[in-house]
Amino acid sequence: MMRKIGFVALVLVMVDLISLGAPFRVAVILPSTINDFAWSQSMYEALMAIQEEMGEENFQFVYSENMYVIADAAAAIRDYAAQGYDLIIAHGSQYGSSLVDIAPDFPKTSFVWGSTAQTFTELGIHNIFAYAPHAEEGGYVNGVIAALLTKTGIIGGIGPIKTGDAKRYAAGFEKGIKDTNPDVQVNYTFIGSYSDVALASEAARTFVNAGADVLTGTAQMTVGAISVAKEKGITWLGYDVDQSPLAPKTVAASIVVDWTVALKPIIAMIREGKYGGEILPLTFANGGLKLVLNDAALEGKLSPAEIIELKALVWETLRKIVSGEIIIEVE
Amino acid sequence: MRGIVKRFPGVVANDHVDFEVRSGEIHALLGENGAGKSTLMKILYGMYRPDAGEILIDGERVRFRSPLDAIRRGIGMVHQHFMLVEPFTVAENVALGLPSSRRFVNDLDRVAARIRELAELYGFKVDPGAYIWQLSVGEQQRVEILKVLYRGASVLILDEPTAVLTPQEVEGLFRTLRRMKEEGHAIVFISHKLKEVLSISDRITVLRGGRVVGTIPAADATREELARMMVGREVVFRLERPEVEPGEVMLEIRDLWAMGDRGVPALRGVDLEVRAGEIVGLAGVSGNGQRELAEVIVGLRRPTRGRVQIGGTDVTGWPPAELIKLGLSYIPEERMRDGGVPEFSVEDNLVLKDHPFRPFSRGIFLNFPEIARYAERLIGDFDIRTPSRRTPLKSLSGGNIQKLILARELSRSPKVLIAAQPTRGLDVSATEYVRRRILEQRERGTATLLISDDLDEILSLSDRIAVIYEGRIMGVVRTEEADIEELGLMMAGAKSA
Amino acid sequence: MIGATLVGIATSAIRLATPYLYAAIGEALGQLSGVLNLGVDGIMLMGAFSGFYVTLLTGHPTLGLLAAVGTGGLMGLLMAFVSVTLQAEQGISGIGLYLFGLGLSTLLFGMTVGTVKAVAGFPPTPIPGLSQIPILGEILFSHNPLVYGAFALVPLAWFVLNKTPFGLKLRAAGQNPLAADSLGVNVIRVRYVAVIIGGILSGIAGASLSIALLNVFQQNMTNGMGFIAVALVYFGGWRPLGVLAGAMLFSTVNAIQVWLQVQGVDIPSDFALMMPYVITILVLASMARRRIHVPAALNKPFERGGE
Repeated sequence: MMRKIGFVALVLVMVDLISLGAPFRVAVILPSTINDFAWSQSMYEALMAIQEEMGEENFQFVYSENMYVIADAAAAIRDYAAQGYDLIIAHGSQYGSSLVDIAPDFPKTSFVWGSTAQTFTELGIHNIFAYAPHAEEGGYVNGVIAALLTKTGIIGGIGPIKTGDAKRYAAGFEKGIKDTNPDVQVNYTFIGSYSDVALASEAARTFVNAGADVLTGTAQMTVGAISVAKEKGITWLGYDVDQSPLAPKTVAASIVVDWTVALKPIIAMIREGKYGGEILPLTFANGGLKLVLNDAALEGKLSPAEIIELKALVWETLRKIVSGEIIIEVE
Repeated sequence: MRGIVKRFPGVVANDHVDFEVRSGEIHALLGENGAGKSTLMKILYGMYRPDAGEILIDGERVRFRSPLDAIRRGIGMVHQHFMLVEPFTVAENVALGLPSSRRFVNDLDRVAARIRELAELYGFKVDPGAYIWQLSVGEQQRVEILKVLYRGASVLILDEPTAVLTPQEVEGLFRTLRRMKEEGHAIVFISHKLKEVLSISDRITVLRGGRVVGTIPAADATREELARMMVGREVVFRLERPEVEPGEVMLEIRDLWAMGDRGVPALRGVDLEVRAGEIVGLAGVSGNGQRELAEVIVGLRRPTRGRVQIGGTDVTGWPPAELIKLGLSYIPEERMRDGGVPEFSVEDNLVLKDHPFRPFSRGIFLNFPEIARYAERLIGDFDIRTPSRRTPLKSLSGGNIQKLILARELSRSPKVLIAAQPTRGLDVSATEYVRRRILEQRERGTATLLISDDLDEILSLSDRIAVIYEGRIMGVVRTEEADIEELGLMMAGAKSA
Repeated sequence: MIGATLVGIATSAIRLATPYLYAAIGEALGQLSGVLNLGVDGIMLMGAFSGFYVTLLTGHPTLGLLAAVGTGGLMGLLMAFVSVTLQAEQGISGIGLYLFGLGLSTLLFGMTVGTVKAVAGFPPTPIPGLSQIPILGEILFSHNPLVYGAFALVPLAWFVLNKTPFGLKLRAAGQNPLAADSLGVNVIRVRYVAVIIGGILSGIAGASLSIALLNVFQQNMTNGMGFIAVALVYFGGWRPLGVLAGAMLFSTVNAIQVWLQVQGVDIPSDFALMMPYVITILVLASMARRRIHVPAALNKPFERGGE
């Protein structure tokens, strides 16, 4: 009897310690590397930013990169959950089914899955959050910019696999172009791989040969395409992170995804005892998406007057998206 | 070669061997397996280095570190297993390893021209542009000899050159060798076939247990004397073959067809029968369907047409386990590959076939004491020389492995025995033993199909001889009526009378 | 329009075939000598990284190429040592070498460069005169030097294999090493040379990506090309011309699939993506029956027979 009371007391003390400010511990599973200049890097940067803000004593995180094998990722997720992390981020839509298996076994651990708009509450699982960047908004803005920059009237896009964010971004991009200049011809190609740099670069070359002078694309294999854009002296419009350091005269604009906008509310909810069930959108309206324009590249393509005109139209577009005047439908 | 000593772990392969060969001479090196013939010649060819002794060529002392050194000093070797690159042409095989007269570019046209010259000089035909796989075994051997001649060899070593040839091809080889002798070459002829040695050589050196027993002129030698020198005791050549009245047909094969490994039919309608107490010898040049026939009978290969009957039961397509139960025994051609498990012990190999049955197993357990008793008995009965019954099969010599297989197969009192190349590679005494055992089995009423490339073996054991050529039986003759010339023609594809 | 399309596809295909050609011809040399090297992808990655890094440091792609040659040669030497001298199982050693190259290139990249950077690699170098030829000039003679090198390698490899004493020794070592040995051919040395040359060519294959075609390096950027190169060796029946045909078929179908999508042809992208692999499998299956050139001693360590 005494022993049982002692145990209960110990548990109470532990619970107290957590609420009294033991550091919040996060583990993140990344499909590529933290320096991929795209998807995984943007998440890494978000976690670094939160850590800077909250302080290392309050916020710690670990990551597993290159988890392109889903079985490996599932094993890592389970390991982290068993080790008592407060939050486990499965940063890739391919990890969803693994979470459905694992999350019910760790009801006091919170999981985040993205990007998606599903949290599996319908399966009785209440400890999965989801985040969903409205990639179509970013695509739309890049589309407007592309339509204003093209001189040949031909624009290309390079995606990995036609699903999720890549598909939404492509749909938004094409709509942005059509709404700005219906005469511009745009084609979007999906090369079937997140990692085939050579094929991405070949797609870019094929676009250039077909007359394209503005290209865009999503996912980490696009570094191959950016390199081609740089070599051919045409314009690239980036996504995920600011890609201009890669090719300062080539990347005219980047849509930056700021995951902190989703992660901070999630952390707050967990602290209040809510472990899942919410879908957090990332939009221009809530600051989850940001546009970074690169004057150095724009100056090479347009006259100062044209730049001013472009910026005005772009800011106007952003305002309309935020205000709801422009609504981008995706299937 | 003077005072050559070569030791391997546990054995002295050559113990102060002296050997010489003169130009214009064919000198036979005779001995049982393990007598040290091959070791001696590998030392002469630079593949091994002697522990003691010296090699002199034209009176000059030489040291070989590799075959290349030997080749440079005019020594060439034709190996028992041909050293030919099958997808290459004759000219490419000859040119391999030689510097080209055009330095960095091949000179195969010049090589081909020289090959034609050589072929003409020594009286045989060969197409330098033909691929090795297109050639018959006899032709391949000629390419081997050409390789040696091309390198300007004055000394030619032939290791068991007749093992794979038809009688006609052996004649052809001997003609070539005599021609070479006339041209002043020195030829070393390694063999354990006494008849051939006597007919081709000028002098004969006999090795036993790594030592030279003696060197004698062939003209003065007899078969019996040479055999005594080789084995160290009298050898009986005429095996006792008491009359046995053949009984019922035990093995009957009708219109049997089967595919070979290359996807072309290897058997094209074989008809054959073997009676109880009868040995039927299947003669033929290797590769004419013998192996496939044996495999079909023992259930290892599926026939595409036709029928196999054992003791009146149609067993076509039966699995090996059922055939074993029916009393079929098999001495396979590839004894290390098909005859046992090299890593298993002698006793395990002895019960490989019968271990699921009483008394070797009780229920699902093996009866080890019984297996041990049985193994000890067979090791004694069949004179298997092994350190113990627990020794792995792979450490036994070829003759003892074959005795083990015989022990396993014959102690089962088989109704039908398929013996494929039962003495291939065995020495005189092991050969004698194996043949004796097969004849004993005949007296006990076993129906035996003896498949052998060795025509002498077939002639001395069989009651009847069937000749196979390209998957068909060309004819069956009674042994006492057999004419070796006619058998040779049938083996080469001529129809029997 | 159709003409321009065909020119575009052909030009793409030739560029895409480049890394496969280097890697597959290098692999063919090794296999013909009797060594199956499944580590090609790992060697390519090391070649890609070293070429990239040296170019980044020095600004000279030629030095980068030399670095890739050296790294590829060393990786080949390692494979030869493990599989020829130590006689380790070749398939397993190759996979080990692949993982080693994948891991080490990722680690070194993380330590030295850290993030995606572009370098100035070999620029396209149209051949004066020839590149002016209509159509063919653009397809064949307007590439960077490593593309020309890859195509020049095909007749060179054919010549070495079929017309030189070394080629004869190399093929003999892979078909019947005992026979070769008995004629004084140093089988061990021949295999070492073949595997090291194979490594060097795989290193160049990697460099052709990182300092000629893409001018960036990324972890695992070869994306399994090395394994496709191994398949191309079988596809090509161990002949340089066959390897060329296989590489061109594979890259042409890939180029067509990219082109169709770029042109906005309305076919499901998944279907387009399947095409190169489906066609490769179909061709492989149709050729499975005639395998005359298979090196008989492939995957078998060489040891002189004893008594």
